[in-house]
Amino acid sequence: MEWEPKIIVFCCNWCSYGGADTAGTARMQYPPNVRVIRVMCSGRINPLFILKAFDEGADGVMVAGCHFGDCHYDRGNFACDRRMTALKTVLTTMGIEEGRFFLDWISASEGEKFANTMTMVSEKVKELGPFSWRQKAEAG
Amino acid sequence: MCYAWGSDDEIAASGECGGAVTTILKFLLEDGIVDAVLAVKKGSDLYDAVPTLISDPEKIIETAGSLHCGTLNMAKTLEKYLDGARNMKIAVTAKPCDAMTLVELMKREQIDEDNIIVVGVNCGGTMPPVKAREMIEKFYEIDPDAVIKEEIAKGNLIIETADGEQEISIDELEDQGYGRRTNCRRCEINIPRMADLALGNWGVIGPLAGKATFVEVFSEKGADILDKAINAGVLNTQEPIPKGVEIRANIDKIMAKLASKWQAKDFDESRGEIMATFAQYLDEFDRCIKCYGCRESCPICYCEECTLEADGPEWLAKGTIPPSPMFHMERLIHMVDSCTNCGQCEEVCPAEIPLAKIWHEINSKMKEVYGYERGVKEGMPPFSYFPLEAGK
Repeated sequence: MEWEPKIIVFCCNWCSYGGADTAGTARMQYPPNVRVIRVMCSGRINPLFILKAFDEGADGVMVAGCHFGDCHYDRGNFACDRRMTALKTVLTTMGIEEGRFFLDWISASEGEKFANTMTMVSEKVKELGPFSWRQKAEAG
Repeated sequence: MCYAWGSDDEIAASGECGGAVTTILKFLLEDGIVDAVLAVKKGSDLYDAVPTLISDPEKIIETAGSLHCGTLNMAKTLEKYLDGARNMKIAVTAKPCDAMTLVELMKREQIDEDNIIVVGVNCGGTMPPVKAREMIEKFYEIDPDAVIKEEIAKGNLIIETADGEQEISIDELEDQGYGRRTNCRRCEINIPRMADLALGNWGVIGPLAGKATFVEVFSEKGADILDKAINAGVLNTQEPIPKGVEIRANIDKIMAKLASKWQAKDFDESRGEIMATFAQYLDEFDRCIKCYGCRESCPICYCEECTLEADGPEWLAKGTIPPSPMFHMERLIHMVDSCTNCGQCEEVCPAEIPLAKIWHEINSKMKEVYGYERGVKEGMPPFSYFPLEAGK
């Protein structure tokens, strides 16, 4: 059987999750290896969520929130942007490829963007192959 | 800016370059400006430096003289054991990394800014005690216990014994893995401009060379103290010779340039092919024995309940050694914006993981992204305090 990546996507309740909903009601196709976790706001996403996802065996992680200025809680996505940019720097310096962690802003009306982004993420992660930073520890 | 030296003969004799630092500390205690002084005194030998809290002005003399193997961070002591100076007024001696950490902790409200006076001292780097002893035996062929003084001047490390002195170029020592600590080699801040006062021997020329200290004032608090000390007659001062000021600036520039060379060298090692970098870091982290030494020694780390030991959710899986690399990334994501490259984490690590290098490298990348310079009074740490602007 061909290897399929595990991808965790954190979606904010008000925009990106709505975007996923729009994609669903419009019957748009996107890869099934994407697992969506709904949070109330992208500002709720602790960078540790992403690290934990990688730690537990995710091959790729994505964070999706509202566009700037559209946040239901006014400023949550700004906080998210700060934290995720920092996390990205940490990850890339450690040698984890950029194609494993994504950050994007998707609104509730952008069903097509949601489907396209998921396809893109899935393909990129598939290209990079399976990921584990525990490999060595497990082997030993 | 001025040249200063103490008028007390005893202090002038046991302190470095006229004992200006010791004189100021003693004056602060005697005058009741501070309740106590946090400084470093000699431990069992020249390679051992111990932080000490002094409230008796007569005991200040114990802290006179400089120790180049003092691999401490005074900010940690102040924050953890002295309640962040909330209950007493404290004057603290600080090399640039100490001063920067103090500033970061003030921003994070862990140290009471109004209650501390930071007496900064210039620093060209510290040496790890064990390696320093080894180096003195190997290169200088001297018994390390016979050394009475060491000094870094004009790119040479000078070791003085009762019989005389020897000097070897510091570049030569460092090329062979000795000399200053690796984080000190990369450190580009030699004059603590974030302190209230900065003192050091750089730029003292002419008849006063070796007998006076160059003092630069950086805050109103600092200016006030200096004025009071001069008026009380304990501190003698003289206008600096312009050439000396120039020389001081030049030394600073040369040291910063050398630091950026080391930075480029050290950081480039890990900028190869991305998978190779990853493998290399996994190798390093694989040695981790999860002793929490880095957390305990990190001066920026102060939470009482730590996510590394949390039960719900259990962020970090318990009972596995080595821990997942998440251990280090968790620490990074919490504090790297304030990392002052003090090297405490690497200093205490029993597995010799090059933590200081990793932290410094990520911190300098953060500086590029957020434009936040750690350790200076302006701005706030970007992870915790930020304005509402996109892409910043």
